[in-house]
Amino acid sequence: MADRVLEIDRVSKRYGSVAALQELSFEVRAGELFGFVGPNGAGKTTTMRIVLGVLAADAGEVRWGGAPITFATRRRIGYMPEERGLYPSMGVTEQLVYLAELHGMRAPDARAAAARWLERLGLGDRGGEQLQKLSQGNQQRVQLAAALLFSPDVLVLDEPFSGLDPVAVDVMSAVLREQADAGISVLFSSHQLELVEQLCDRVGIIRAGRMLAAGSVEELRSGSAPRYWVDAPGAAAGWAGEVAGATAVRVEGSRTLVELQTTASDQVLLQAALATGPVREFRRDTPTLSELFRSVVTEEPAA
Amino acid sequence: MSFASPERAALSPRRAVYLIARREFATRIRGKVFIIGTIVAVALLALYAVLQLAVIDRINTTTTFKVGFSGSATALAQPLEAASPSLGFKVHVSDIATAAQGRSAVRAGSLDALVDGTPGAPQVVVKTGIDPALQAALVSLAKQNVLSADLSAAGLSPAAVESQIDAVSLRIDTLQPATAAQLQGPIIGFVMAFALYLFIGIYGGVIGQGVVAEKASRVVEILLSTVQPGQLLLGKVVGIGLVGLIQLGIIAVCGLLFIVPTGVLALPGAAIGAVAIGVMWFVLGFVLYALMLAATASLVSRVEEVSSATVPVSMLLVVTWLLAYVVAIPAIDAVSGGAVSPGLGTLTTVLSLIPPFTPVLMSIRMAAGEVPLWEGLLSIVLVLASIAGVTWLGARIYANSILRFGARIKLTDALRRSS
Ligand SMILES: Nc1ncnc2c1ncn2[C@@H]1O[C@H](COP(=O)(O)OP(=O)(O)O)[C@@H](O)[C@H]1O
Ligand SMILES: [Mg+2]
Repeated sequence: MADRVLEIDRVSKRYGSVAALQELSFEVRAGELFGFVGPNGAGKTTTMRIVLGVLAADAGEVRWGGAPITFATRRRIGYMPEERGLYPSMGVTEQLVYLAELHGMRAPDARAAAARWLERLGLGDRGGEQLQKLSQGNQQRVQLAAALLFSPDVLVLDEPFSGLDPVAVDVMSAVLREQADAGISVLFSSHQLELVEQLCDRVGIIRAGRMLAAGSVEELRSGSAPRYWVDAPGAAAGWAGEVAGATAVRVEGSRTLVELQTTASDQVLLQAALATGPVREFRRDTPTLSELFRSVVTEEPAA
Repeated sequence: MSFASPERAALSPRRAVYLIARREFATRIRGKVFIIGTIVAVALLALYAVLQLAVIDRINTTTTFKVGFSGSATALAQPLEAASPSLGFKVHVSDIATAAQGRSAVRAGSLDALVDGTPGAPQVVVKTGIDPALQAALVSLAKQNVLSADLSAAGLSPAAVESQIDAVSLRIDTLQPATAAQLQGPIIGFVMAFALYLFIGIYGGVIGQGVVAEKASRVVEILLSTVQPGQLLLGKVVGIGLVGLIQLGIIAVCGLLFIVPTGVLALPGAAIGAVAIGVMWFVLGFVLYALMLAATASLVSRVEEVSSATVPVSMLLVVTWLLAYVVAIPAIDAVSGGAVSPGLGTLTTVLSLIPPFTPVLMSIRMAAGEVPLWEGLLSIVLVLASIAGVTWLGARIYANSILRFGARIKLTDALRRSS
């Protein structure tokens, strides 16, 4: 299973004068949910289109299982484009079967899989209807079914959660988790950072066509300076600044958020706090993905 | 954890094209263009056939005039009856005792005409007007009567003079006899060419619309993640072309079935041959134009822009149709014995060998039967070669444009960039 890795290796792409991707590299392992986050125009969609071969890279390589991706291996990728699209006046089941056949499935298997997935996605009784008769959210479920129907080895989903109601978000999350647990490599982009934090095994933060950070949320956190909430009601204002390597980031009443340089010791900070009187709270602050995202994206100067 | 699902087989290019063509076929055969178009065309043909039969019926059942004679004019009854078959009508003659009786019969409609007076100066009574044929017959009988009386008075035998006159005839030498059947060749060809022009236009339009509809609905991005642009293009051309061919076939067969019994076609065999030639040129012409239309249509992203994007190609088709007159008229002249100016003949040959014009123009010329074998073969080869060229160019334009949404793409950009 170790060889079932999707590797994006130093991929570059220009649109005229715009450098959409600059030597972008990351990998999505089998059984892994990889969240792809970044501001608008960062290059997420461009990356996914290059993986699917609907766009050609100027330089770099996409590999699957160690070998450069080919037309045949691309056919094993389930794809949900950012610009959703199916045939509006074609029946739901009819077009799911058609798309599955185009991915190499036989019609009877495709029909069985379509029924199964529509059932699973709560559209069990809508298969005979024209796609355009369905609500936007339900059309998106059909789009997901189209990506999953043919049992792909890789899923590439461009903002699959956008425009979904909370129930649909739960269904989508459960399906993605289940697919990853079944050993499929799942790459998806999203602006819903809380969701990405909850759901993903690993996250990649991209901006202006470059990967700024990639890893588990835990790994991303360890890369940032540790912060502590300290509630010392007896302390004088600015007490934290006197501790070596410590900076007060925020003050809320008697509570202070202190950032320590990686060389500084949290025990020294605690002792300094205790020296001011009673300490009611001393807690390591774990930044959320949103906070990490903001600090990473604003820290690095634009290229 | 099973990855390789056993039910999934590799997708060969041929199967990809087949699947795409099958979807197009299944969708279009249920579509308005096919169903309504076929019904309307067949209904029009049936109407035409019925009208033809009605007209022929009128011609075959010659009218019968009921003519009453009274007084000395009764002497004309016998000659009129004798002459009527050669005059194209029948007469039913009767003797009427008195003119007054005859008048009331004419008024009542039981007589078409009452002839009174003398054989040399008959007086005719009719209700509203006299049929010109009947009038001419009566006039000539009266003249003959006067003439016979004068001949007898001059001491000549009217019977001898008459037989001498009858012996006079006109000898006609036809250098290039035109039969009705020969004339029908170019006319059938012209009808066929019109059908070709119409079908290439209609189904080419369906292709253009389909290409842009896939682009507008964005489904093309999913399709191109599993099939290649060339396969998608080919599948569309095959699937939609087959629907057009079937519709053309249904209409042609209905046309033959309806029209042959009317006897309008002197030579049904020639018509069947023309239809076979027409089918071949439809296939070649459709592929040629469909590829050009699909490629130009792919430059735009909205269905409303299709017709403006494909203008260069549709203009070419319209020009082809205008040239059809240039080709058809000398072809008809040629078989009907008229003089074809040599310049026009050469022009016709040259025009019909230029590939975009060939399918429509050659279907006329071949139906007229005036095309030498080498010219026919050369035209097929030239069209096939241009199809190959257009496939290469068109697939390139299509592949480079189909995923670029938004504003209309310049043709030069679509040809250059390979993104
Ligand atoms: N077809 C295109 N033509 C020109 N520029 C494009 C095109 N598609 C994307 N871009 C540019 O490439 C950059 C990356 O876009 P994209 O991959 O869509 O970003 P994201 O999906 O992360 O929002 C943006 O600056 C965008 O404007
Ligand atoms: Mg995007």
